[in-house]
Amino acid sequence: MNRGGKWTPQPESGVEAALAGLMGPAPGDFAARVLHRVGIPRDRYDLYLHLDAPAGGLYVAYGTDAVTGAALGTALSGPQAFEEAHRARTGRSAIPTTRPLPGLRTALRTGRARGLAIDLPELTEAERAALDAVRTIPRGQLRPLAWVAREAALPDSAAVTAALVANPVPLLIPCHRVTFDDGGPCDLRYGPIAGEALRRAEGVDEALVGLSRAGTVFLGSDTTRIYCHPTCAHARRITPVHQVPFRSARDARAAGYRACKSCRPIAA
Amino acid sequence: MFFSVMDETAEPLCERMATDLDDGFTELVRVHASAVHAFLLRMTGNAAEADDLGQETFLRAYTALQEYSAQRRRALRPRAWLMTIAANVWRNHVRTCVRRPVAAVSVEESCESWAAEGPGPQDHADTVADRALLVAALARLPERARVAVVLRHVVGMSYAEVAEVQGCPVGTVKAQVSRGLSVLREVLEPEVALLREVTM
Repeated sequence: MNRGGKWTPQPESGVEAALAGLMGPAPGDFAARVLHRVGIPRDRYDLYLHLDAPAGGLYVAYGTDAVTGAALGTALSGPQAFEEAHRARTGRSAIPTTRPLPGLRTALRTGRARGLAIDLPELTEAERAALDAVRTIPRGQLRPLAWVAREAALPDSAAVTAALVANPVPLLIPCHRVTFDDGGPCDLRYGPIAGEALRRAEGVDEALVGLSRAGTVFLGSDTTRIYCHPTCAHARRITPVHQVPFRSARDARAAGYRACKSCRPIAA
Repeated sequence: MFFSVMDETAEPLCERMATDLDDGFTELVRVHASAVHAFLLRMTGNAAEADDLGQETFLRAYTALQEYSAQRRRALRPRAWLMTIAANVWRNHVRTCVRRPVAAVSVEESCESWAAEGPGPQDHADTVADRALLVAALARLPERARVAVVLRHVVGMSYAEVAEVQGCPVGTVKAQVSRGLSVLREVLEPEVALLREVTM
């Protein structure tokens, strides 16, 4: 028998195991209702829940009116791991709930999370600038590190990669839409498998990603003489016979093409 | 001397309650809400009642903490302390509604609805029927034995912690738990219990 203080599950006896099996989690929002009833001000803690999303769903924590953290389900062992990671990062407790922040479910379903309020006070100025730039990448499109650096007015891509590694709100800040400058996916936060699942769910054309890998960084149209990032909505409309691949912006300029005004490829 | 599962988290938790009560209390709720709810669910046999009494427990805990000095909060052993409050809240509740028949029927009903909530730790119990049997048998245990068995084996507290909640020596708790378990074993594994009687 177990005479010391340390409690360990005892699989040898059916009754003890069955009793341990009676310990379940409290109902969905029990803890949140306790805090509400006790009268703890709402700005002292974050609520969180697990929402449907590719790559194991998404844990999302939010404060009074903005998202404060998230994690992919595949990256964690369970809700408790999320609670502890959130506490360690923000110093705030994440309390389970069943009600999402208004707009959150829609943002996840449509992949358009640019308008969602996200509050990350613990980030540095440069990290916030980089992640804000990442948020402007439209659903289903990819942008290279250098593009993010330019949009965020950062001196080089090193600051961008640092921000991507730190990204505390994966998926809602779509770092899976960032590629290396050669076009290869840059999944620094959660690895290529989850990244690919997220891109596939957005319908990113793998053929275009392959095109980038083969050395084509930009795609031009010989009817409009405009060049784009290959995943730009305008580039995807170019029919195969009119597609003109370019290895660099300089090549495109030399061929007499101008840069697309919506995806704003970097000028040479 | 004793190192329970929660002791690693207990120290920073108490420190937090001592320096910033609202923050520390939030963390207290996050860490211990499930245990308090599970304890009350097994004592009342009714999810709605467990919910009410759980709220009451934390409300009392918060009111008490407001009166405590920082030093006293720091010296607290949160889980045993919370369970003491929960046990008192439950006893008061039983006393106030003693005229109404508590448990029995509602136990079996509620445990069935609870068991249907999908897979999880309850995989341990072989079938829903076995589980219902266990819950019903648990509800029939005498009060003190039931508190001891639930705290020790459902919530997973150490004997020392249970003794603190029950306000009695550790040896007494061990006896209560062991007696309670043998009653449950008779209900759940009649053949085994019979065999034991024959061979002894």
